[in-house]
Amino acid sequence: MEGFLRLLAFIGLAAFLALPDSTQAAPPPDAHLHWAFQPPRRVQVPSQPDSTWPRTEIDAFILARLRSAHLEPAPPADPRTLLRRLSFDLTGLPPTRADVEAFNSDFEQDRPAAIHRWVDRLLASPAYGERWGRHWLDVARFSDTKGYVYGREERRFIHAPAYRDWVIQAFNSNLPYDRFLQLQIAADQLVAPDSPDLAAMGFITIGRRFLGVTHDIIDDRIDVVTRTTLGLTVTCARCHDHKYDPIPTDDYYSLYGVFHGADDLPVALGEVHDANARERLQAYHSKQAERLGEANARLRTRLADYLVAQLELQNYPEEGFEQILSDADIIPHSVRRWRDFLRQTRGTRHPIFEPWHRLSAIEPREGAGFAGQARAILEPLLSDAHFNERVRLAFQRPVTSMREVAARYGETFQAAEVDFTAAAKVNPPAVPSAAVAQLHEFLHSPDSPTTVPDTAIVNIEYYLPTPIGEELNKLRADVDRRWLEVGQPAALILRDRPSQPNPRVFRRGSPSQPAQEVTRQFLGILSGSGRRPFTQGSGRLELARAITDPANPLTARVLVNRVWQHHFGRGLVETPSDLGLRAQPPSHPELLDWLALRFIEDGWSIKSLHRRIVLSAVYQTAHRPAPESDPNHRLLSAFPGHRLEFEQVRDAMLAVSGELSLARGGKSSELLDAANRRRTVYAFVDRQFLPGVLRTFDFANPDLHVAVRHETTVPQQGLFFLNGPFAAQRARKLAISSGNHPASERIRRLHQALFQRSPTDAELATGLRFLQQAAEADARREKPPEPSPWLHGSGEYDEAARRLKSFKPLPHFTGTAWQGAESLPGGETGWAQLTATGGHPGNTRAFACIRRWTAPRNVTVSFSGTLVHEPTEGDGVRGFVISSRHGTLASASVHHGRSELTGSALQLEAGDTLDFVVDIGVGLGFDQFLWNPVVTSGSSTWDAARGFTGPANSNQPLDPWEQYAHVLLLTNEFAFVD
Amino acid sequence: MNPFHSRRDFLRRSGMGLGALLLATLSQSAAAAAPPSAPSPLAPRAPHFAPRAKRVIHFFLNGGPSHVDTFDPKPALTRYAGKPIPGDYLRTERKTGAAFPSPFAFRPRGQSGLEISDLFARTAAHADDIAVIRSMHAQVPNHEPSLMLMNCGDSVQVRPSFGAWTLYGLGSENQNLPGFVAMCPGGMPIKDSENWQSAFLPGVFQGTFVDPQHREVAQLIEHIRSPHADVPTQRRQLDLLQELNAAHQQQRGNDPRLEARIQSFELAFRMQLEASDAFDIQREPAHVRAAYGDTVHGRQTLIARRLLERGVRFVQLWHGAGQPWDHHENIEGNIRTHSNDIDGPIAALMTDLKQRGLFEDTLILWGGEFGRTPSVELSDGGKSKLGRDHNHYGFSVWIAGGGVRGGTAYGATDEFGFRAVQNRTSVHDLHATLLHLLGFDHERLTYRQAGRDFRLTDVSGEVIRDVLA
Repeated sequence: MEGFLRLLAFIGLAAFLALPDSTQAAPPPDAHLHWAFQPPRRVQVPSQPDSTWPRTEIDAFILARLRSAHLEPAPPADPRTLLRRLSFDLTGLPPTRADVEAFNSDFEQDRPAAIHRWVDRLLASPAYGERWGRHWLDVARFSDTKGYVYGREERRFIHAPAYRDWVIQAFNSNLPYDRFLQLQIAADQLVAPDSPDLAAMGFITIGRRFLGVTHDIIDDRIDVVTRTTLGLTVTCARCHDHKYDPIPTDDYYSLYGVFHGADDLPVALGEVHDANARERLQAYHSKQAERLGEANARLRTRLADYLVAQLELQNYPEEGFEQILSDADIIPHSVRRWRDFLRQTRGTRHPIFEPWHRLSAIEPREGAGFAGQARAILEPLLSDAHFNERVRLAFQRPVTSMREVAARYGETFQAAEVDFTAAAKVNPPAVPSAAVAQLHEFLHSPDSPTTVPDTAIVNIEYYLPTPIGEELNKLRADVDRRWLEVGQPAALILRDRPSQPNPRVFRRGSPSQPAQEVTRQFLGILSGSGRRPFTQGSGRLELARAITDPANPLTARVLVNRVWQHHFGRGLVETPSDLGLRAQPPSHPELLDWLALRFIEDGWSIKSLHRRIVLSAVYQTAHRPAPESDPNHRLLSAFPGHRLEFEQVRDAMLAVSGELSLARGGKSSELLDAANRRRTVYAFVDRQFLPGVLRTFDFANPDLHVAVRHETTVPQQGLFFLNGPFAAQRARKLAISSGNHPASERIRRLHQALFQRSPTDAELATGLRFLQQAAEADARREKPPEPSPWLHGSGEYDEAARRLKSFKPLPHFTGTAWQGAESLPGGETGWAQLTATGGHPGNTRAFACIRRWTAPRNVTVSFSGTLVHEPTEGDGVRGFVISSRHGTLASASVHHGRSELTGSALQLEAGDTLDFVVDIGVGLGFDQFLWNPVVTSGSSTWDAARGFTGPANSNQPLDPWEQYAHVLLLTNEFAFVD
Repeated sequence: MNPFHSRRDFLRRSGMGLGALLLATLSQSAAAAAPPSAPSPLAPRAPHFAPRAKRVIHFFLNGGPSHVDTFDPKPALTRYAGKPIPGDYLRTERKTGAAFPSPFAFRPRGQSGLEISDLFARTAAHADDIAVIRSMHAQVPNHEPSLMLMNCGDSVQVRPSFGAWTLYGLGSENQNLPGFVAMCPGGMPIKDSENWQSAFLPGVFQGTFVDPQHREVAQLIEHIRSPHADVPTQRRQLDLLQELNAAHQQQRGNDPRLEARIQSFELAFRMQLEASDAFDIQREPAHVRAAYGDTVHGRQTLIARRLLERGVRFVQLWHGAGQPWDHHENIEGNIRTHSNDIDGPIAALMTDLKQRGLFEDTLILWGGEFGRTPSVELSDGGKSKLGRDHNHYGFSVWIAGGGVRGGTAYGATDEFGFRAVQNRTSVHDLHATLLHLLGFDHERLTYRQAGRDFRLTDVSGEVIRDVLA
């Protein structure tokens, strides 16, 4: 394992490799004394009278520690390096050459003033929020999609763009961090119902949906809140007390209760101007009202069946075990709701269900034994006016089994409903008896297990028969799609439920094993002696306030450590989301405390914190390799360099080629769309289909709170830059913008654009030599062939005329396929796609896939090729070969088979077309096909696969200058800060 | 084991034939570059103890293959045909009715007499190398959680897949190919790439998805070909790149991250050639291609062998997009078609691996996310659909190859095949056993995340000693 450990250490994984642990399985008794649970200490800033190096208090702490390790700080960085560092660090973008020159001249006049001014400028730039907002989105496990969902639901989140923009804006406006957190946890209770700040709640609601299993959604929410804000791994206590930190399981379920006490509610931010969107919402609301009415009627008439179900709960598995249910079935979700209701009312002398509670304790549940005990139990209840009179009447007659008890309840409720209705019908309406009214009220109360909660479908689909849940989900999806299409800002907020029963601990995390009840309250270890249960609704706002209480020892420390981490590459604590007992102690504990206290005193101002850090001497030191005595640069004798993250590299490439779009906010853009030149933070993040390039470059996994990104170096990264279109396109642009100048001047301009410096003499010579060689090779290369005669489009086959009705080029090229939309299925053509050798027709026959060959001259041709359809499923595809001059020449229907489509001696004139058309069989499904048509004439051959190209020019070979610019974009100097 | 191996060793290990030669002739500066000091996260690593298998191929019959029609004979179903199955009614996703005997004959096979149905007659020729585990059980009768359980060891939470764990533990023998390849004809299975996710492990350990319906290597692997520069141009570009990087590095001392990035471009250059070669089955002799069959399943199985012999650590072969093995209706016809798709390729692969001496250290896993009910599925109106519903209470998987005791049937379901009753085997037990064969103590292959030391087998799992040779 030795080599393995070294390897992991190398790739920065050592902190994650669990070494054989001590057998410790419980926190030590003095765990509360752990440094992170103690308030930050006010310490004397170390004085260093013999050194002029320290510029700020931070430096004093750093220098003291360096000296104790017999190290001295490195000299300051040169101005160009410093500005690059500041610029990438604070805005994620490189400075321009002009910036560097201006900074240089400022710097010469007055170094501290220059740095101050430029830091202010960078912090005031909207690009600042785009950079630092992304750091927050990493910990918030941000995604534009829900993860795997069933087809009935819209898979994109309606609220992702608004949440992303809110975070960016919060950083840009320097929203105080305490407020920033409070809004993200409880904006629904802090701002007006029409406030744009409701978007903040995406923090909680943007996690994976886990197919709707409540317990796992809540677990994810507890995890993101506690690790992000407190640096505590509370979810370790889901199944048992935390093994290392003083977090008992009871505390986990206290927080479980907080999040269980709210429903998710999609809301539009601002008025919905789109009439179609309003109509769709109306259609959804009215259908849902109708369906809930029907569902409630079933629950009420079948009350006896739901009580019988309580006697055989083992037949009703927990959430996550999904059965396909019809409206004739007992709904397991409602059975569980009855179970919970009965658990809560047991021992409360419930006026209606006390007999049930008492009787259900009898063993056996039927027969003479039952009947005898039942009589004894019922006797005192029957004369007690506290209990519902109708219920008492019902049990005057003896009962012989629990099933009979259930039936008796059913009859009682039915009879009461009849009487209640009858009373309302007479004129004037009669007043129903108190007993009847009480039964009626129970049945119709919004909290009753006989009522499906009237809230968004996302919370209640499992209360409904499967087809009804699907129907309502689809109607909601229609709304969602429209909102996304028109860019309607939206939020997914939490709304507290009307009643807030106390949660129960689930033994070993299993909902089928409920144990003791706990109150909703904050974590014990952070509450001190004044710990009190939450009292306002779910307690979520109280939770937010407890987290942001200045006396909380963790919140400020965790944040200042995160900010430090992003400035220096590592936190003072190296596990930024775990400050518990297993965390390595901070490298500079006093500094961490000092920063935390100053942060709170500064009004939780993150920009002030940045200033404190970047204006220090230690931040401005030159980069040096780590000394042997401090191999990980924890003591910061010099600035540790780091590789740019993927977003920074991509944005920098666009910036230096002058193509970066400044369009901010709003709808997300497809990352790999060639036309997308926006900052990467606005790219569509699809957690279910995360583009391979993002994974390859260690982008934060959007399923998980990510505090530290991995940093791996793998060849796929190289392939993306070498062979992908992105870097090559930037190179083409750079080559053009370096202008019509002598070669050495062009090289100088390229270096200045990319590195904000002039090339060295050696670099200049190397560049010239390369260009010379490339030009020679270029001259030797065969001239590029004439433009491909193949086009790729969609259209409809006219069966009557046996010709093509229409041809429309497919608009999107992925690099390997032409298709109707950026991602499939999409656009009007759905799945339509053509690759070099095959494809998939569009979703209806109006959108056949068409490979079009255009005759380059007057010519007599033959064509051949085999249409292959492999799947056994579905009903196959149809293929046609159509000449613009001669009509349909060949056709075939193929299902799980193949068919040759050939023709010969075809006389064509220049500009005539041959269309190779594939559409779906009878229906859509399993319609992918292979077909590589080849057209020949004498010695000329036009092979569709060989002639398969992207948009004109994008695949043209790079010319020597483009090759050169391409290489500069791939250099380490470009990819590393310092 | 020292992962910081020398450059020459590295080239040898990278298994380059053509590519290395080409590199040697084309590269001027690469040879002059600093000695490699930066190991890739995929560098090969030794496990906890001597492994019995070095690589894995997983045939995933997505949808849930019926065990009572393939590897778990239940004659009692014939006796009860059309009658209710006695005992407790077990709830599944949909409603089912009477006992539904298999329409396929089971026969004892090989020396061992292991019973396998005619659906896998060709694979059955290797019965003496196969260990069937007939007592598997999962947690719920739904595809999505069961896929996650079988692949990642947890039904709901986001956890790394078995392949990702394997790669994390062992690295890959070939730095020029992805270490973990998942192939699925026609698109993604249900749950998409979650099935081969790396979750909290680095992204490099995630399975690389390949749709073998494509035939062009450029469509199989992203960015494997340059559309804008030919190989000599690229070589010239890389030489310039290395020269600029060397000058840059000189000012900065020996920073392994700079070195790693320099190396990664050379690796990328070689990967282009190596991948084209590995995925090109036209380089196989005609008789080999014929043995696997010129179908998409034959081709993907043959590609898999080419990858495995080149040092790819883990290959997962899915049957097809969606869930082809989800035989709710007309199981007799559908299961015959789907079995026929893969029976030949699996048998051919086993023969081929044996001939190449790879069988003894390759681990083969066959199975789905659960099995199917021995009772017939009913429509809403209560009519027979001549199919079977999902069954997570009991089902079969089989393993073969490195370290597996062949000709074995381990565990048993009840008389009808509904519920595992003897030597009940959880998915964690199966994973523990597979990791054991790969040389890992499943309790010690862990990763610290969110305060916990996670492992594939969560908090349980026993190695099944009875299936070990």
